[in-house]
Amino acid sequence: MSQSNKRTTAESILHADRRTIYTAGRPPWYNCTGGQEVEPFLIGIGGASASGKTTVATKIIESLNIPWVTIVSMDSFYKVLNEKQHHAAMRNEYNFDHPDAFDIELLITVLQRLKEGKKVEVPIYNYVTHSRENRTKTMYGANVIIFEGILAFYNADVLKLLDMKVFVDTDADIRLARRLRRDIVQRGRDLEGVLKQYLTHVKPAYQSYIAPSMAHADIIVPRGGDNHVAIALIVQHVHKQLRLRGFKVREKLAVAHIGQPLPDSLYVLKNTPQVQGLHTFIRNKDTPRDEFIFYSKRLMRLVIEFALSLMPYSDHEVDTPQGFAYTGRKCDVEKICGVSILRAGETMEQAVCDVCKDIRIGKILIQTNQQTDEPELYYLRLPKDIKDYRVVLMDATVATGAAAIMAIRVLLDHDVPERHISLVSLLMAEIGVHSIAYAFPEVKIVTSALDPEINEKFYVLPGIGNFGDRYFGTEPNDEE
Amino acid sequence: MEIIDNDIRQWDANDIKEQFGDNLMLLPSNDNIKELQTILRDKNTSRSDFKFYADRLIRLVIEESLNKLPFTDCEVVTPTGALYKGLKYGSGNCGVSIVRSGEAMEQGLRDCCRSIRIGKILVESDNDTHEAHVVYAKFPEDIARRQVLLMYPIMSTGNTVKQAVNVLTQHGVKEERIILSNLFCTPAAAQAVVDYVPKMKILTSELHPVAPNHFGQKYFGTD
Repeated sequence: MSQSNKRTTAESILHADRRTIYTAGRPPWYNCTGGQEVEPFLIGIGGASASGKTTVATKIIESLNIPWVTIVSMDSFYKVLNEKQHHAAMRNEYNFDHPDAFDIELLITVLQRLKEGKKVEVPIYNYVTHSRENRTKTMYGANVIIFEGILAFYNADVLKLLDMKVFVDTDADIRLARRLRRDIVQRGRDLEGVLKQYLTHVKPAYQSYIAPSMAHADIIVPRGGDNHVAIALIVQHVHKQLRLRGFKVREKLAVAHIGQPLPDSLYVLKNTPQVQGLHTFIRNKDTPRDEFIFYSKRLMRLVIEFALSLMPYSDHEVDTPQGFAYTGRKCDVEKICGVSILRAGETMEQAVCDVCKDIRIGKILIQTNQQTDEPELYYLRLPKDIKDYRVVLMDATVATGAAAIMAIRVLLDHDVPERHISLVSLLMAEIGVHSIAYAFPEVKIVTSALDPEINEKFYVLPGIGNFGDRYFGTEPNDEE
Repeated sequence: MEIIDNDIRQWDANDIKEQFGDNLMLLPSNDNIKELQTILRDKNTSRSDFKFYADRLIRLVIEESLNKLPFTDCEVVTPTGALYKGLKYGSGNCGVSIVRSGEAMEQGLRDCCRSIRIGKILVESDNDTHEAHVVYAKFPEDIARRQVLLMYPIMSTGNTVKQAVNVLTQHGVKEERIILSNLFCTPAAAQAVVDYVPKMKILTSELHPVAPNHFGQKYFGTD
């Protein structure tokens, strides 16, 4: 995520001139069944050392002008060196240009997972100690992935993953000149050492491994980053490919599953007089905000307590001050975390914090694109080891389920098992419940009320209105 | 069925209905609620945890007690312009807590009903005879016209509650307009109270022969 080159400008920008209608958010990358629909487009950029691969990659990103682009550098996958190799490297005698210097297996795993839309941890290579640092770069959610490296086209399995292969071909003299300047001026090494490395490793590697790999390239870009025509052609092709992959999720969600029986994974809070009375307050359009907040909070507390009762429990014996052993119950789950779907889901965070001491809270921002009516992913921040947690996913209302499905997809991409997710809401429309249960049958769906319909603006009927607007007081003024 | 059972076990809703009739009700149980009860029973629970989990259980008991209050049907218009058939709570309720442990439940009531009036009763019981005397009582003036939510978390003999109900009826409150909110109750206390005021509604979260009598001490930290 931190690495992806997304632009989080507040206003949505439309790139109609390039015909890729993307705004700052990430459109759906999965279909109605929750499966992956859109594979990210993976561009490989190969070429000799100092040929300008990174410049080409950066220029492509700039001209693409779409969010959610990730660069993966092959340099991150250098093998960890042992003591002896480390010393050889210090004397410029270790061959960093040979295919064996790379952890190809890890590289393939990472690229494969990225293509599957999963979260990956990319190692950070330390050139001083020649080992990996303890921290890693988390990458997630790219529509376009650029993979660059000198030996990008060397391995047959990597080649298969690449949707487009670009070879940057720069004159050998220019490459040597750049290399000398970079290593001597920027990295403070001596001329003798740089030349020795160039002649014994860099040049032979180019001739043996890199130059022959040019045969695999779809496009060969002479002069690297200065070749504007080549970059424009590449960008055009990528846009065309992305457009072909466009997908309308919400529309399809809204018409599927009419008249089906309600799924087993749905748990509705018992409709007591209090629950119904609370609903009456928050559904009434004339309820002042102060009361709206108070009564919706009461309802949230009840629905969160209810969601917790659906976790797995087992018998637990304790000693009492009265001197007898009491057999009660204890939750089997130690790690529970809350994840709210911004903005309306955030209102439920307090309730979950009030019942679970010191609970961790993740956030996912999903907004509806006004032009396409599709949900788009804008932002996410989740606990690093979220796969080890039971997740209480919170959104105040669920209409078509489009946002919830996107959020669940994000959690699955982060390796949270489907059965460990509970989606908790104050109000859901039947249609949304069907769609979510169809896509993710193991996700527990918990709500305090179920409404039969949604209207053409995808609001639940009779419903609650725009929950976030009413809670935060951001309703448009001209409503009356 | 024997009231005092020799084997220590919990009563379920069916046993309760058979033995005590319809006016004694059990909070519909689930694993989450059982876990809260287990934590409160555990002698190794820290005081901070004790208070935290007690407050959670109290909130659930209060929410359930409020369900016993009267309401009327009503219709409202939602922001989408649709009709919603809901209901409206009746007005004219008040809370009464029995000092001291009953006061632990006041916050839970306040969290549900922001401006509800709350009266108090202080009952002191003789350590030897277990006889209870009312020492102090302060109520809203018009309590005779109100529904009363009487709060007292632990009942072992029922003597305290019997005295509190006496005071309320002396102030003109009708027996059937009192709802007792309780966390832990012994079958003996339940029988004693049901026999004494058969029309009062009682809601408890657990019926068990041994009451966790350390509740007040531990909740307020005076042990």
